[in-house]
Amino acid sequence: MISTYHAALLADSGILMLGALSVYIILATGQLSLGNAGFMGIGAYLASYLTVEAGLPLTLALVLSALAAGMVGIVIGFPALRLRGIYLAMATLGFGEMVRSFFLNFEPMGGAGGFSGMVHVSVGYIWLWAGGILVLVTLLERSRLWLEIRATHDDETAASLVGLNTTATKIGAFGFGAAVAAVAGGLFAHHHVYIEPANFGFDRSIELVLAVILGGSTVAPGALVGAVLLVLLPETLRFLADWRLAAFGTLLVLVLLVRRQGILDRGLFRALTFRRQAS
Amino acid sequence: MAILNGRVEKIALCASLVLGLAVASSNEAEAQALAGREIAIGAIVPSSGHFAEWGRTNTVTLKMLEKQINDAGGVNGAKLRITIMDDAARPAQSTNALRKLAGDDKVLAVAGPLTSSACEVVFPVANQIGIVSTSQASSKPGVAKANRPWAFRNTVDEQILAQTTVPYFKQTFGIKTVAIIYDAKDATAATVGTKIMPAILTANGIEVLNASDLLSFNTGDLDVSAQVTKLRSYNPDGVVVSADYSQAVTVIREMKRQGLVKPIVGATQLISSAILKAAPEMPIIAPATFYAGMETEAAKTFVSTLTPLLRKESNLPAEIEPSMYDANIYEIVSMYVDAAKNAGITAKPEDLEADRVKIRDYMAQLKNFKGLGGPVSFNADGDAVKLFYIVEGKNGVWTDKLHKCSDPNPAACGL
Amino acid sequence: MSGTLLLQQAINGLTLGAVYTLIALSFSLVMGILGILNLAIAELFMIGGYVGFTLIIAGAPLPVALLAGMLAAAALSLVIEKIGYEPLRNAPLITPMLSTLGFSIILQNLATNLWGSDPLQLPGDMLATRIALGEVSIGAMQLLVIGAAIVMVAALAFVIRYTTLGRALRAVAENRDVARLLGVRADRILLIAFLLSGLLAGAAGVLISLHYAAITPYIGVETGLKAIAVMVVGGVTRTWGALLAGPLIGLAEVATVAYGGSQIRDFVVYGLMILILLVRPQGLLGGARSDQGPRV
Repeated sequence: MISTYHAALLADSGILMLGALSVYIILATGQLSLGNAGFMGIGAYLASYLTVEAGLPLTLALVLSALAAGMVGIVIGFPALRLRGIYLAMATLGFGEMVRSFFLNFEPMGGAGGFSGMVHVSVGYIWLWAGGILVLVTLLERSRLWLEIRATHDDETAASLVGLNTTATKIGAFGFGAAVAAVAGGLFAHHHVYIEPANFGFDRSIELVLAVILGGSTVAPGALVGAVLLVLLPETLRFLADWRLAAFGTLLVLVLLVRRQGILDRGLFRALTFRRQAS
Repeated sequence: MAILNGRVEKIALCASLVLGLAVASSNEAEAQALAGREIAIGAIVPSSGHFAEWGRTNTVTLKMLEKQINDAGGVNGAKLRITIMDDAARPAQSTNALRKLAGDDKVLAVAGPLTSSACEVVFPVANQIGIVSTSQASSKPGVAKANRPWAFRNTVDEQILAQTTVPYFKQTFGIKTVAIIYDAKDATAATVGTKIMPAILTANGIEVLNASDLLSFNTGDLDVSAQVTKLRSYNPDGVVVSADYSQAVTVIREMKRQGLVKPIVGATQLISSAILKAAPEMPIIAPATFYAGMETEAAKTFVSTLTPLLRKESNLPAEIEPSMYDANIYEIVSMYVDAAKNAGITAKPEDLEADRVKIRDYMAQLKNFKGLGGPVSFNADGDAVKLFYIVEGKNGVWTDKLHKCSDPNPAACGL
Repeated sequence: MSGTLLLQQAINGLTLGAVYTLIALSFSLVMGILGILNLAIAELFMIGGYVGFTLIIAGAPLPVALLAGMLAAAALSLVIEKIGYEPLRNAPLITPMLSTLGFSIILQNLATNLWGSDPLQLPGDMLATRIALGEVSIGAMQLLVIGAAIVMVAALAFVIRYTTLGRALRAVAENRDVARLLGVRADRILLIAFLLSGLLAGAAGVLISLHYAAITPYIGVETGLKAIAVMVVGGVTRTWGALLAGPLIGLAEVATVAYGGSQIRDFVVYGLMILILLVRPQGLLGGARSDQGPRV
């Protein structure tokens, strides 16, 4: 039996991993989103409304929130087609801030005062979702569709010349990513049983991107490695007291310098899984 | 702690004075009942991030208390150990800190967390685990009430405080009209600015000139010039600034810059020494349960012992003074120590759950705990029943203008 | 709204705009022209502000404080380039962005430990001279901020447009390999770009923190995001764009507050930014085409 503290860290890792996967999916098509906390916020607020006010079971609420956020993601995906790189990053950042500002003024769900009344979920339930979606994305990575996604990432012009529908790929990625972020948000709300708009600001969006890049942005399990690292690091650095955050920043820079492709890359991932098969 | 070593003699002297409250009720037979054991208490404070100053002074306060108690023979012979964890004022870290303190460090009770946002997520966990958690600062209405029986706050609800602050403000400055500005990103400030203050002002016959357009800004905003120009255009008799003091400084500075010199009223969030420097000529009215210049004997001893320790700490500004939250957390842990002495706690691992229940019941039934400003107890909502002061900040000092009990029955505060 | 009130709000908006323009300029060299997302600039701005502030409180004259703030920020900027960017220059866009994020976390912690998390304030009436213009008034610091914004935009635009350094910068931005073939030392140009951007951030930090007369370790965060928005709206490679976009965003913010929308201010500002990006993806004054931005 693990302690309640370690169970909570495990739950945090699961939720962060889902958030990171949502960035990973969009990033796989070559689009950087700095606004995924916005999708997370939509999922958190909608799922909480559905369980607390409408009395729906959590699983159904999460599915509905994912669908709704997925639709928002698709709507965002269309204008995003016009933008690239730093411009897309800025536009998504703006979207995230708009969502936060919206909930700050959305009095029916408490506005700045926050919203509570959710029922706490177990770490097992969180990991059913986290594990399930991780397996789903890993399976997707072995499909033909993923080849199209990678092609869109590597050279969009060439991909469309050979007849791939890069528009559908990119918009679909936004929709899927948004849906996964919404699940992360819904689980976040039912893990902490209280949400407020500040939970879903720019620093959350950046945290999600950080988990992907630290863990490794070329394989889905990288999001898992990154999430666990981001949850455990601040805890293990406690002995540094007032310099804890500076140490965290320093380690962040060091990891990027030593492994710019992230801790887990395709080579390491293959080596690890091969060894496991062999033994 | 190295910084403490040089102060041993002075602390030893003061310990018996300050902690008269903690040892008062123990008799000779009980004195060594827990010899050889350890009383483990946890604390959650924000030592990094936006509220680092508060967390760091809280830490020094707790180290001082720990040393005072152990130097004076411990808790009925047992050693007091306070495990302090930093939550960086991030709610997710606060709950993890609570779980670690309760699950791994097996503490009997927890002091903190500081912010209302952190309390909102920590209190449900405290209930789930079954451990007392008492906040030193949260004053957003109803946060402990929603999480009974394990949640307590050694603070008074802003709703109750404003009911005394507003009439005093009206009377003193002849206020007939006000305009409101608040920090929309801060849950407590937003609740006070949009709900509590408008209702109480109206009930006291003060007109809120911008009732239909309450002005807001966001934590971290540098520029509030447009809001202040708007405030000025209403030409109010006084201004309600509902924000944490560090944000309020920005507003008050801008008011001064634009020549809007009016009396200011707000909530406990305004109490700090930093705000007094923003515009010394503008009177600031706010409620407090403690301030550094307070006159009671216990408070004076507390301030004179703690201030030099705070000023020795390298990561704090040189002119720092003990804050209201230092006083509150000092009282909280002192209450836990009293509970350990008087509620039949064994401090044995197998009795952990029973000990925690005993502390909870002791807190709920607390009578006449000798706090720094007078007796402290808790009401049914889990909030403190204690004396509070309406203070006026002007020309760099806070002065006590009025004091009142947070309970309708003044006897509860020893009045 | 009365005329005086409107005029005062316009002055507020223009000052805020100048503040955004000043910070946006420090972003525009490294982020705009070279396409490097340097998130630590907001903290360079903060550190520059603290250094200048400390010196002013200690009694130093404004030019000395300004220079010290600029040098401190520039030195840090060089450290960030050497450690956080240079080794990662061939990695995708996000990797150096996150290493600069690491530096911004370190700098915030450092400032908290050095100066505390409480706001550091300028005592009394230091630098608080006001000039009355009929019924409205403007502060001397306010004028200095607006003036500095115009002068620095002009100076930077001149450097980029007409000097050898500017041409080299543009060549490196266009294509590093070709630039190298043409004899431009890309590594040196990058170092100079970071140096200049540090100097600009430091200057902005000193002027802005003195204008508001209070500073905390976190002033860079919110303002920094808005400044990036200003840079993008102006058109990342067009220096003059910041002079147009800064006041535009500043006035939009002030107008939202003035007309009763202070609660939805951020919603309006970021909405405006997205709208401009969609209508003119290359920013108001054009520049690099956004559909050819660097790959992530």
